[in-house]
Amino acid sequence: MTEPVAAPAPAVDPASPAAPAPGAVGAGLIELVDIVQRYPQDGGELTVIDGVTLTFDKPGIQVLLGPSGCGKSTLLRMMGGVRHPGVASPTSGTVNIDGEACHGPHEDVVMVFQRYANRPDLTVEENVRFPFRTKLWRSRIGKAEQDERTEAILEAVGLKDKRSLYPAQLSGGQNQRVALARALVLRPRILLMDEPFGALDAQTREEMQALLIEIWKGFPCQVVFITHDVDEALLLGDRVIILSTQPARIADDFVINEPKPRNGIWLQSSLANELRGRVRQMLHQGAA
Amino acid sequence: MWNPYLPLAPRERRILGITSVLAVLLIWAGLSGTGLVGPAKLPTPWAVGSAFLRLCWDADRGESLLGWATVYSSYRVFVAALLVVIVGVPLGVAMGASPRVNAALSPLVDPFRSAPVVALLPVLVLWLGIEEALKITFLFLGAVVYLVPMVRDAIVAVPRVYWISARDLGATPFEAVRLALVPIAMPRIADAVIAAVSIMWTYITVAEYVNATKGLGQLIQNAKRFSAMDQMFVGIFVIIALALVTYQIMTRLKQRLFPWETSI
Ligand SMILES: Nc1ncnc2c1ncn2[C@@H]1O[C@H](COP(=O)(O)OP(=O)(O)O)[C@@H](O)[C@H]1O
Ligand SMILES: [Mg+2]
Repeated sequence: MTEPVAAPAPAVDPASPAAPAPGAVGAGLIELVDIVQRYPQDGGELTVIDGVTLTFDKPGIQVLLGPSGCGKSTLLRMMGGVRHPGVASPTSGTVNIDGEACHGPHEDVVMVFQRYANRPDLTVEENVRFPFRTKLWRSRIGKAEQDERTEAILEAVGLKDKRSLYPAQLSGGQNQRVALARALVLRPRILLMDEPFGALDAQTREEMQALLIEIWKGFPCQVVFITHDVDEALLLGDRVIILSTQPARIADDFVINEPKPRNGIWLQSSLANELRGRVRQMLHQGAA
Repeated sequence: MWNPYLPLAPRERRILGITSVLAVLLIWAGLSGTGLVGPAKLPTPWAVGSAFLRLCWDADRGESLLGWATVYSSYRVFVAALLVVIVGVPLGVAMGASPRVNAALSPLVDPFRSAPVVALLPVLVLWLGIEEALKITFLFLGAVVYLVPMVRDAIVAVPRVYWISARDLGATPFEAVRLALVPIAMPRIADAVIAAVSIMWTYITVAEYVNATKGLGQLIQNAKRFSAMDQMFVGIFVIIALALVTYQIMTRLKQRLFPWETSI
């Protein structure tokens, strides 16, 4: 289904970190095979996801775009190995991470949530260092490297001078930076982001989008990024997958070979307008 | 205009508080001082004051009755509090973290919240005798049945996203409880401990009813036997004061230990 968009001037530069060659970095491989999700509802059943098959094998930012309530978070939680209490997830189908069926939290996969989930009882630095409190990462990463990684990521997200503040003392954007740093300090091969900038005001959202692009160059990985915002999908996506609603199926799937960062001016370009039209049409068809 | 969110200046709050306490003292002094209510039913404030001084230092005996009573009662509350925390907190955490443990233990714990623990006292006397073990056990039981469900509820109230996030970042289920759920629930657990200790101060007189040889409960009992109303009032006031002081100390300690909670 992947179909490269005919860009007027192919803006692909193999050396550019925005479009690295496949396998050039240690990005993880995600396979969703025939995913079906049903939830019990009013005595009957509600089919939320109906046969989604997807492969993410090229490193970059993969955007899952769909209207609210279409099942994006459900899909992302499966990739993160999060089980719903009392409901089988997925109902049928398999999720493979690096070729192996995923049944729970995977050490190469880290999630970032819309509401940050920063620990209120830990300072910024303690939040970022939290993974190193677990036996798993303490045994893998020595103290010196923990320090070095923490400093590097605090620098990258621009929170060095806020390190001893608590999350309650930070703005929404700063909180999302903490969440991003805490995820990236593990150098995950797969980063799952569920509408991470959805709770932010427009200007902070733009700043965070630019930051994500910049940070990604320093820590390239497989990013699966969920949004319901068409422009956000166009700005960030190396590939955009559009989900229809009730039940969710893949309505469209295309690659954007444009260098990043893309800005507001690019969003007015003829290519962006064409893509936006295409996306809007697919979302409308899905809703109909 | 009045509204429930009206911020009150500390000065105004203090003045209002002191005024109402003074008003009660005045009414008390009026009722007892004018002889409207006899000294057998209500001692005058100054009689209570001089009884307080006498109990603080008994020149004939050369010892402080009130001092010793306070030491004994405080010691009992302290030991029982220690036991309640050591037993009750882990139990509550286990119940909050595991629906299975909760299902198994809540029928044993929850009913006792409304059961009259005081009614258990005669039974406890049969089982444990009338010495120190009885007093400590009674205080322990009276408080632990409140503490355990409160600790459990504190754990259950931690939003699930912290569990998901900790597991996602490499924590085992056990680590997620230890490193995420418990620390986040700590302020509420501390509230539960504070409430449990307050309950113990209300039970101390009952605990010291049986075979009373030492303690504030005994002091009140003794005073009652000799119809010394003024001394009974002293005992009651001292217990109230001790409960207030422990409450203040523990609340301060809580703020010191969990500074992040007040910054929310
Ligand atoms: N545990 C659950 N039980 C029942 N229905 C659920 C559950 N989780 C999600 N749903 C339903 O599944 C649909 C998709 O939810 P979600 O994945 O959160 O959508 P999105 O993230 O795209 O907004 C919604 O209609 C929601 O009500
Ligand atoms: Mg969602």
